[in-house]
Amino acid sequence: MRHNLLLGALVTMAGGCSCGRVSLDQPGVFVLGVDGMDPVILRRLIDEGKAPNLAALAQAGSFEELGTSNPPQSPVAWSNFVTGMDPGGHGVYDFLHRDPETYLPISSATAEVNDPGTFVKVGGYYLPVIAGDDILNNRSGTPWWDVLYSAGVDVEVYRIPGNYPVPSSDAKTLAGMGTVDMRGGYGVYTWYTDKVPVATPGHDLKGDVQLVTVEDFDLDGIGDTVKGTLKGPPDLFHLAPGALPGESDYLTASVTVSIDAAAPVAIIKVGDAQAVVAQGEWTAWMPVTFDALPAGAMALAGTVRFYAKELRPGFKLYASPVNFAADAPPQAISTPDDFATELADALEGPYYTQGMPEETNALKDGTFNDDDYLSQVGLVQNDASAMLDVSLARFSRGDATFFYLSDIDLQCHMLWRHGDPKHPAEAPHPAFEADSASKHALDIERFYRHVDGLVGRVRARLPPDTLLVVMSDHGFQPYTRQVHLNTWLRNHGWLTMNAGKSAGMLALGDVDWSKTRAYALGFNAVYFNVIGREGQGIVATEALAGLRTQLAAELLAFTDPKSGRKPILRVDSGLDIYHGNRLTEAPDLVVGYDRDYGHSDESTLGEITELELEDNTSRWSGNHLMAPEVVPGVLLTSRPLRTSGNDLTDVTATLYAWYGQTLPPELRGQPFLTP
Amino acid sequence: MALFNHLTTALFDAILAPLGHGRPWFDLVLWPVLGGITALLVIKAVSNQAGITRAKGRIQVHLLEVVLFRDDLRTVFPATAKALAYNLLYLAYNIVPMLVMIVPMTTILVQLVSHYAYAPLRVGDSVTMVVELDDAVGGVAAADVTLDLPDGVVLEAPPVRTAEGMVAWRLSAQTAGDHLLRVHAGASVEDKVLSVGGPARKVSVLRTKGWEAFLYPSEAVPASGSPIASISILNRRDAPLGPFPAGEAGILAWFFGASLLAGFLLKDRFGVTI
Repeated sequence: MRHNLLLGALVTMAGGCSCGRVSLDQPGVFVLGVDGMDPVILRRLIDEGKAPNLAALAQAGSFEELGTSNPPQSPVAWSNFVTGMDPGGHGVYDFLHRDPETYLPISSATAEVNDPGTFVKVGGYYLPVIAGDDILNNRSGTPWWDVLYSAGVDVEVYRIPGNYPVPSSDAKTLAGMGTVDMRGGYGVYTWYTDKVPVATPGHDLKGDVQLVTVEDFDLDGIGDTVKGTLKGPPDLFHLAPGALPGESDYLTASVTVSIDAAAPVAIIKVGDAQAVVAQGEWTAWMPVTFDALPAGAMALAGTVRFYAKELRPGFKLYASPVNFAADAPPQAISTPDDFATELADALEGPYYTQGMPEETNALKDGTFNDDDYLSQVGLVQNDASAMLDVSLARFSRGDATFFYLSDIDLQCHMLWRHGDPKHPAEAPHPAFEADSASKHALDIERFYRHVDGLVGRVRARLPPDTLLVVMSDHGFQPYTRQVHLNTWLRNHGWLTMNAGKSAGMLALGDVDWSKTRAYALGFNAVYFNVIGREGQGIVATEALAGLRTQLAAELLAFTDPKSGRKPILRVDSGLDIYHGNRLTEAPDLVVGYDRDYGHSDESTLGEITELELEDNTSRWSGNHLMAPEVVPGVLLTSRPLRTSGNDLTDVTATLYAWYGQTLPPELRGQPFLTP
Repeated sequence: MALFNHLTTALFDAILAPLGHGRPWFDLVLWPVLGGITALLVIKAVSNQAGITRAKGRIQVHLLEVVLFRDDLRTVFPATAKALAYNLLYLAYNIVPMLVMIVPMTTILVQLVSHYAYAPLRVGDSVTMVVELDDAVGGVAAADVTLDLPDGVVLEAPPVRTAEGMVAWRLSAQTAGDHLLRVHAGASVEDKVLSVGGPARKVSVLRTKGWEAFLYPSEAVPASGSPIASISILNRRDAPLGPFPAGEAGILAWFFGASLLAGFLLKDRFGVTI
């Protein structure tokens, strides 16, 4: 046991918990959460002998599909697992929610902040006088780790999705997916270049592109020095309270690159740190601090690593999103606060603290090619692999540990276009790139095999009677056709544009709300424009039931003229499929796409485009934002299951039951195993 | 500077780490206490003890005046001004002992840092070594600077020669030991020790002829005519010091804190007013 057993005994003696006490001599549980692992692909690899460790696990225990959430989006699915509830209970319905008053998309990760606090402006600085609302996690419900910790179980949770902002907990947790970079976003890289990259038509570059000049400081006719800046956190002391930062409202650090005259190698200086890097290489993590107040009175510590894509003859240098310094994070990313530091000590250095560190943006932008992307993913894998070893070294009999692996999900999103691992006979993906496909066609399979290797390590190191659970939140399918759902709503009379407009944004005055009955925001959500709920609602509450039925029927009848297929497999009413205290926030309809189809990025953010449907030529080529039955996850256990047909909340229930805890009524699942 | 460093380093190499570098607690307790006692003796010998006693007394009197007559601003303001004035006088009385102490105390601190602040790099670690040329000497360009590597240390990337006259190498040490890296700059040759693996020991991270040589005395100062101004190892690992704060800043904070504490605890025994 990792923490003092006395604590458990004291809690029991105090009688402060109505739940059962954990036997101090019982097998523990180790849950490996593999985002995006698909049962069909895994079954094939097992059958072909390419996943021997997972095959052995299935042989010893079980392997079956695991029902995912509706919609099957990672924040929703992992919240189901964390709380044992569906979105009606935990309140996370989609990656994106909407502000009904303004029709603007908002993050589903954080609760609404109404009071930013009171500030006084002194010498150009906004100084807080009265604290405002804390930025809190939007997820409701009790995480299973809090229940187990209260029962005296030594719990550690690594890289758990949807746990940033970090809710208070006595258990040791490290936030994963959803944890921001130092800018406060989900990861903005910097691209220093002497030539502006050409964006794919219709695609806005996600990176911060800095056009630089290679200066010839020593006048030898060869350019030798590049100067740039690296953006850190917003300069909050200079920003009006509640204001969003503009381009120039960030704290910065200077970056200087000195290039050798003879060889493509350079020394990069950022802040006080320096590193030598040859063309095609990555630097190690480099510390960088940003002074929020003068004289170092508030220095915010981050880490960054660079990739020298090209030093000569052109200049292309990548800087990662600035991650929090794991040994001194300026914001809480763990519970207790020093757990993140404890891990940095154990790993003898920094690690990726950003929630989804795989650099998909650079690959989408075209600043990275597949090889660049895969080299970066390798760094993320090394981090995760080392942290997994730490978690195993800290695990003792009776403990409960969850460890999250991102090895498969984002790689399926980005690399599916090179060869469909699920439907090999299908026609090439619209984003197929012939020149790189042969090299990368088996990349996804390689990632599965990497995970298989990790599972082998876990099995070898756990105490023999430990329950090992390998689970995924959803599976995967190809994403070949983009549906612009807001455009479909416009074309079918549910959404009306202002006079003279055929395209635009929901929240930018382009829509005639007095004639609009429904709109789409988020990856699977449709809302009606309800009186008293939406800012300019026109639909009466009494009419909702009929409209739901009507719109669902029309959406199900929608046919893709190119293929003759129906893109939408199911449409559910939020009221029918969700349960709990937060039903009022539920989407009116949840759209479940068939394989190959999915919401376009534009429609997700509330854009109305000209086209209703188009080929997906983006490198984001695999997807799971579909109907739940199209993308089930996997469940492998080291012991045979008592029941089949399980879903994510059943894993939660099993964790409760494994440690003898009473299932609360709001928990949707049922245990599939007990000790 | 070179002679001073040579002598003090020889002296402290002989007397520091009597229990070995793996047991830093002995020196980290002993030397701050000795520093505190030395400070007391210096203050007693060179300061105006009567003046210090008088100044402290006057400060107390005027602070008491402020407290007692806090409702009477005509009394409070002059009393505060006098308290501040006697404070300045108190500080002035301490200038001479501080000037006397600054060199020996800093020397002790620097030697403690040299012996205990850094751990050897791990076998396989990447290491960046930087040579800076001395503009005042001149005659050698960055292109003329080369590096000889001993067995057990390999080059990971070609050297970078910058427009500012700096040369940087990324190296990797494959075996443990105190490796001697030899830098050629024109006709001059300078060596730098790279400590890798093995037990806790004195680790040198910078060899320089600048003012920083006083703070990093472990290796000899390059000759004044050498075109090399400094050779530094950028990758540094703080040595673990158990309950004591680690690294340069940690040892500095500990040394001053513990010296002050020792001085306060022992001042009456030594009959010193501070």
